[in-house]
Amino acid sequence: MDEQERVTVVLNINGQTRVCTVARSERLLDTLRQASCFSVKFGCGSGDCGVCTVLLDGQPVRSCQVRTADVAGHTITTVEALATQDALHPLQRAFIETGAIQCGYCTPAQLLVAKALLDRNPDPTEEEIRQAISGVLCRCTGYVKIVQAIQRAAALLRGEKVGPFGPVTETWLPGHAPAELLGRYYRIAENGSPLPPLVISPPDMQPLRVVGTPQAKVDGVKLATGRPVFADDFNMEGMLYGALLTSPYAHARIKRIDPTKARALPGVHAVLTCQDLPRVKYTSGGQSYPQPLPYDQVSLDNKVRHVGDRVAVVAAETPELAQQALRLIEVEYEVLPHVLDPLEAMKDGAPIIHDEPDTEGIYDAAHNIVHHIEAEGGIPAAEAWAMADHVFEGEYRTSQQQHAHLEPHVCITYWDEDGRLVVRTSTQVPFHVRRILAPLIGLPVKRIRVIKPRIGGGFGNKQEMIIEDLCAHLTIATGRPVRMMYTRYQEFVSSRSRHPQIMRYKIGVTNDMRVVATELRLIGDTGAYGTHGLTVQMVGGQKGLTLYNAPHCKFICDVVYTNKPTPGAFRGYGSTQCHFGIETLMSEIADRMGWDVIEFKRKNWIKPGEEMVMSKALGEGREGFEQVVRSSGLEQCVQVGVEAMRWYEKRGNAEWRRGPGGAKRRGIGMSVMLHGSGIAGLDLGAATIKMNDDGSFNLLVGATDLGTGSDTILAQIAAEVLGVPVEDIIVYSSDTDFTPFDKGAYASSTTYISGGAVYKAALQVAEQIKAHAALMLGLESGEGMLLRDRQVIAPNGTRLTLEQVALSSLHQHHQHQIIASASHMSYECPPPFGAQFVELVVDTETGQVTVERVLMVADAGRVINPITASGQVEGGIQQALGFAHCEEMVYDELGRLLNPRLGPYHVYRANEMPDIQVIFVQTEEPTGPFGAKSIAELPLDGIAPAVADAIHDATGVWIRELPFTPERVWRALHPELAV
Amino acid sequence: MCSANDIWHADATAPIQRITDDPNSPQLLRRLTLETFSWQMRNETSIQKALRSPRTAPRWMAALLALGATVTVEGEATEMAVAHLLERRTQGEVVALHIPTSGMVWGEACVRRTPADDPIVAVVATVALENGVVRQARLALTGVWAEPVRLASAGALLAGRLLDEATIHTIARAVENEVTPQGDFLGSAEYRRAMAAVLTRRALAQCMHFATGE
Repeated sequence: MDEQERVTVVLNINGQTRVCTVARSERLLDTLRQASCFSVKFGCGSGDCGVCTVLLDGQPVRSCQVRTADVAGHTITTVEALATQDALHPLQRAFIETGAIQCGYCTPAQLLVAKALLDRNPDPTEEEIRQAISGVLCRCTGYVKIVQAIQRAAALLRGEKVGPFGPVTETWLPGHAPAELLGRYYRIAENGSPLPPLVISPPDMQPLRVVGTPQAKVDGVKLATGRPVFADDFNMEGMLYGALLTSPYAHARIKRIDPTKARALPGVHAVLTCQDLPRVKYTSGGQSYPQPLPYDQVSLDNKVRHVGDRVAVVAAETPELAQQALRLIEVEYEVLPHVLDPLEAMKDGAPIIHDEPDTEGIYDAAHNIVHHIEAEGGIPAAEAWAMADHVFEGEYRTSQQQHAHLEPHVCITYWDEDGRLVVRTSTQVPFHVRRILAPLIGLPVKRIRVIKPRIGGGFGNKQEMIIEDLCAHLTIATGRPVRMMYTRYQEFVSSRSRHPQIMRYKIGVTNDMRVVATELRLIGDTGAYGTHGLTVQMVGGQKGLTLYNAPHCKFICDVVYTNKPTPGAFRGYGSTQCHFGIETLMSEIADRMGWDVIEFKRKNWIKPGEEMVMSKALGEGREGFEQVVRSSGLEQCVQVGVEAMRWYEKRGNAEWRRGPGGAKRRGIGMSVMLHGSGIAGLDLGAATIKMNDDGSFNLLVGATDLGTGSDTILAQIAAEVLGVPVEDIIVYSSDTDFTPFDKGAYASSTTYISGGAVYKAALQVAEQIKAHAALMLGLESGEGMLLRDRQVIAPNGTRLTLEQVALSSLHQHHQHQIIASASHMSYECPPPFGAQFVELVVDTETGQVTVERVLMVADAGRVINPITASGQVEGGIQQALGFAHCEEMVYDELGRLLNPRLGPYHVYRANEMPDIQVIFVQTEEPTGPFGAKSIAELPLDGIAPAVADAIHDATGVWIRELPFTPERVWRALHPELAV
Repeated sequence: MCSANDIWHADATAPIQRITDDPNSPQLLRRLTLETFSWQMRNETSIQKALRSPRTAPRWMAALLALGATVTVEGEATEMAVAHLLERRTQGEVVALHIPTSGMVWGEACVRRTPADDPIVAVVATVALENGVVRQARLALTGVWAEPVRLASAGALLAGRLLDEATIHTIARAVENEVTPQGDFLGSAEYRRAMAAVLTRRALAQCMHFATGE
């Protein structure tokens, strides 16, 4: 059968009869997207992720695995058909209300599977729900709120009444401990699983009107209805399809490259190789100006340094033609010796990965050492180590983890009517992309506009310019719009990942449990290019050493090139790895000294009022600033966690440990953690707020909501100041032409930095409103006026609606636009704190570890939105579990990735997640907007050491290398076996 | 789908979902179908397609091997054991699946990174007993050869023995000695061999407990 033969099929798509002429091999996914059903998403093309799920005759199928020709005459339902003209489907409402939507990329698939489930089973159990949705991966939510949404919708569809969805809130009384409130929480929550979050407030914290409430995401409706909001949901007349040829070799020089045959293929409009582009050096990491050296990349090079490295790009009229053209490019490689192990890479005689003469700023290119960092803080080393009664050391290794965001990197470039290049791209850093891109394509910044639509997850991988330059080059070469999207394989080998690290910690302690000195020797594997190599390791060192803030701290680090795909920014940003090392060694020390692990950590963790010893020595890519911890709820977090887990009943309890019987052993473990809120003295956010005729406001922010809900919490901050509901704040983010600068979404900075800018801008607008109201009311000034309930209220009780003020200011009196822009930068980076607890079962005969329960108690300052914040924690825990437990990029001896698919790589699915609980212990951070700190990255930091601790509790064995795969655990339990 | 003469029959052109929807399908197969295939896959994939792609769902295939499943293949005169499909003895289209449903107890065990991951090694065992003595046994494994395999020799070794701890231990050792796995990133050859023994012991112990009602 000719797979390319065109056949005509009749389909019923969302109740409408469609006649389509398709190739016999065409996937239903492509047919549906061409039919403008943009809710149907591409995630992997291999059936592993399920985000392309549609209903075929009412049953869920993956549209990438179904050929259109095979479903002729059948009925297909996509999310576009779920809502009626007048109302959302109860599932869509429930997804919005419960916060089940983060990035929204998997949402249409989850909704359809849920609909099919409820159609056949109106009252499913939690297990049945998890089983049903297990075929659709979600990388954002940890599935908790998706399950809750389906439960809620099921109840609605059964005609039951449901109350508003929100957290359980408690305030502890003066003189009492927050842990005393747990009994009531568990009683409230005992009617349902999964549990909603619990928010505990200190007695003196005043509740606010909008901030702190569980507002629905401002982008919820468009995501729940599958509207075309992502970068690829966009067709342009004459658009070409770009594709990238990647290296099959780990290290090779391109001796000859001949695109002649590819260029001759009809329908191919451009083939670009290193011979066609100017050699402009850059670094792809999306960071503030100037990005740290070295600039060790060019758009297309004559040398490849890892399997998956860039070789050539093409633009053609169809994706199939583009792929065909790639196969016609003749490349002759001179294969070079390669090195995959950073320790080997540093040796004399190792292959030199960056031998090109035009890269500046490599510390020792001959030994592949891109950076060497030495920093110390506190009292002199000799003095500190002399105080130690015991010195402990441990070496810890972490693996290379892939982000596995479900929307691949995707970008569309085109010339606008003014001859400016528009880059519509799924990026976390639109302003950095514009700045980095300009010299590569020979255009000034003013001729480039970067638009960030909704992003289908990023987690740091889109804090990098991955494909925008290539796509732009193709548009410049062809004059046509060009769309490029990575394949899932390319996501693994040609995008970024988490840096594998080798950490050697040394800790000096006294007999009375005091940590007096800490040293971290770190080797960070940055793969083939530097990008975030310097900053990730510096942040890791800073966080890893600050948690216990010893009187003396020292950090020695080598960042090393290898011939592996390049790591970059990944949620946690070095801190995740370094917490594994420090927290595991601290637990080991307690074990060896016979100390209570919590008491030992409590005695030493950093406390309010303490200066962070390493904050000046270790900034991010440069020297930092002196900083003091101003707020910390860590003590309360641990108290609550201990009580909630019934820690002291279980820890070390032989009977509890034997629980499941046979060869299985239970264990309980914990860790504490801190992170940051932005980058001190560097990150800048800005916001503009403009008042409209009806008293609503446009909020323009350069901050990039990549699914975290940042647009929503920024709207809440503005709404709180302006005395309006969130629905009166219309958020637009981000577009380099229309929104003010923001560094982008990274470093847990959005709430603190961008939120600070919104807060300031809102205050200025509020002042303008008051001033105009004073004019209208004949008062001398707006002093003492309040903004509340869409009104401005004078001290004498007279009131004007905001609409009256707006209409007056725009049309009647002293006409002017009420508008303000504000910027925010901070020399402080207040750490959020947290404690994570894990219960698990170890099968001592097979080494299989099954995590059964995870509790995170977090201090994120004042929580702006408990639903989006708890969603950040739940999703972060899922990623952290993968890091601890199963996710690992594994290579063969030639540097080829052995598991470049989501299936074999394995991301946690809904039907295997442990029970997850989230509790916030609020504090007031004096430097944050309304007392807020960050939350996004913190959940990544403590799971791995807590799992290590729990495995030890179960088995008596410490394992110092991640992930804890069955064989790794089995070998640790059987040390007599040779490796 | 129908059951007759203690044989469960399935139209092989039907989607796999029919197995889970049919309350008469063998319990072991129903359970492993649910665990192995996502709902979407069960709807998209016909039984015949799954039978022809054994690497897609090795544990499901192992269940069929252990259950003694046979298939009717177009152009073939007699029913064939599922193992023959694995050996590529026929290229004909599979039109029906047949599974004996009576007189057997079963057990299965596997090791995997996480509870819903594909198993690294899995063992499925079925045993027919008469007065505690094994009349017939089938043992199928995944993760120890490129494709799922039924270890006929282990089954034969079990026949005629009392199903007790000593026998189970003996069989587990025999399996460990017989398998010749290839290592990969999920598990080395040494690990897989060791797991073959552990999981065989567990699967047979389940059979024993099942039989004795414990």
